[in-house]
Amino acid sequence: MLGIVVDLGYVAAQTANALFYSSILFLIASGLSLIFGIMRVLNLAHGAFYMVGAYVMYTVFTRLVSGAEVGVVAGILAAGLVLAAIGYLVEVGLLKWVYSKPEEVQLLLTFALILVFDDTVKIIWGTEYKALQSIPWGSFRVGEYLIPVYYIVTVAVAVVVAFGLWIMFTRTITGKKIRAAASYPDIAAALGVNTRILFSLTFALGAALAGISGAMAAPILTAYPGMGTEAIVLSFAIIVIGGMGSILGSFIGALIVGFSRTFMAIVYPVLEIALVYIVMALILIIKPTGLFGEREVERR
Amino acid sequence: MGVRISLRDVWVRIGPVEVLRGVSLDAGGENIVLVGRNGAGKTTTLRVMLGLLKPYRGSIVAESNGVKLDAGRIQPHVVARLGVGYVPQGRMIFPDLTALENLEVSYGSSLPGDVLEWLYSLIPDLKRFIDRKGRYLSGGEQQMLAVARALVKRPKLLILDEPLEGLAPRIVKTIVEVLKSIEEEGVSIFITESGSLARVRELVDIAYGIDRGEIVYKGPVEGIERDEKARARIWGF
Ligand SMILES: Nc1ncnc2c1ncn2[C@@H]1O[C@H](COP(=O)(O)OP(=O)(O)OP(=O)(O)O)[C@@H](O)[C@H]1O
Ligand SMILES: [Mg+2]
Repeated sequence: MLGIVVDLGYVAAQTANALFYSSILFLIASGLSLIFGIMRVLNLAHGAFYMVGAYVMYTVFTRLVSGAEVGVVAGILAAGLVLAAIGYLVEVGLLKWVYSKPEEVQLLLTFALILVFDDTVKIIWGTEYKALQSIPWGSFRVGEYLIPVYYIVTVAVAVVVAFGLWIMFTRTITGKKIRAAASYPDIAAALGVNTRILFSLTFALGAALAGISGAMAAPILTAYPGMGTEAIVLSFAIIVIGGMGSILGSFIGALIVGFSRTFMAIVYPVLEIALVYIVMALILIIKPTGLFGEREVERR
Repeated sequence: MGVRISLRDVWVRIGPVEVLRGVSLDAGGENIVLVGRNGAGKTTTLRVMLGLLKPYRGSIVAESNGVKLDAGRIQPHVVARLGVGYVPQGRMIFPDLTALENLEVSYGSSLPGDVLEWLYSLIPDLKRFIDRKGRYLSGGEQQMLAVARALVKRPKLLILDEPLEGLAPRIVKTIVEVLKSIEEEGVSIFITESGSLARVRELVDIAYGIDRGEIVYKGPVEGIERDEKARARIWGF
């Protein structure tokens, strides 16, 4: 035990592992949080988007492109684009018809989408785990431990995405319109904002983030049916911890969940999953809006 | 010239309640007040005019310089872009956005310096809180911002829903002065009022009275208090 604690290489490897995992979680949770914070839609199918992203990566990587580096980059871009398109179609074709319906209808619809995506994935890719075989960019050594460079790349992507979202929402007129429409959609519309397009765009963006997350996860975690379920449950925990609709909240929430899972798995595995929910419950008691959630705005 | 919005025999039901029962009116061209007590249907009427609410019966037409929108194509952002400004009841300032960002959202891009200067010349107080978030503004500040936000696109018709409700006299004076000066520049206003007409009388020529979803008076403002039937339905005396 003592030996483990002082082994720098081991600590570095586990930290890298936790950072990688947190980055994946941030990418998926930020999309879920965005969609909920702005459109007040709890998209249960968000995990399915993540899963489809992983399969898109698998296909691009193994079938369409040769060379691991190019394959991974192409897979991430493809997953982002495919999921943006799927998200757009789901919003325009299905969701937009149920905004004015009771919440249960939205939940039922997005739940139905999970079933549709799960079965579609099984039909196209089968039920076995799909591994990518090779991870690009190799690894570097800390003490006795090898850390994949891919971990660092994933962290960098998450940081860039977080920064990009922050710029978008604070510096661009589109971002400001989206924030306005999140509070009072009718007022924004009556002032000349085309909220219809903004909501489609927001949903497509959120779905793309889930797709990118799944694509980045695939080389390490493989692609398999049902991978979305685990991801969405943790994403809910993250946005409850961080605060609905807050990008910074998703970022911090993902770090909390990523690190507590990784280190509990080593220190006291029995509590690996439970700790996440203990933290979540504590935060709900102390600050019900989550760490970075702002006061709820009443909607008309 | 100008923007016109016409409602003809408009019926709106919310839940089991008939909120508008055959409302017909014309906005634009003149300065108009729509007066009626709480719950009479004023806000609902405005929401129909702005394309935020679809009546189950009746027609709505909005037109500006030969561009004519009828019921099927009435959408709020399209109506706004015809040249209609809106000051909603309760101000509805976007709370997460600064005052300046509230203006930008309405303008559609970042504000050119001369537009901001023009707003400052109309409402000097704006300068004081331009970088503060909506949620930290006082009621009076929010109302001044709501008026500025509606004016930033230089509308030809300005629709205001009880803009003087619950404000300190100084703010009421500021807003009335602003409205007078934009009227002089050729903007038409359509304002609602739930109580006495004293504060808006100098701003308008025409009054509509509304009670329980029905228009009970249309004519010159001076006439409404002399019309006993209308007076009884609007003010109860
Ligand atoms: N969203 C809603 N749900 C239920 N009832 C509503 C809704 N909106 C309006 N109503 C009802 O419709 C009627 C007219 O409401 P409206 O807001 O148009 O009145 P108003 O004249 O603007 O009143 P106020 O002076 O209080 O603003 C009222 O009886 C109100 O209770
Ligand atoms: Mg009202």
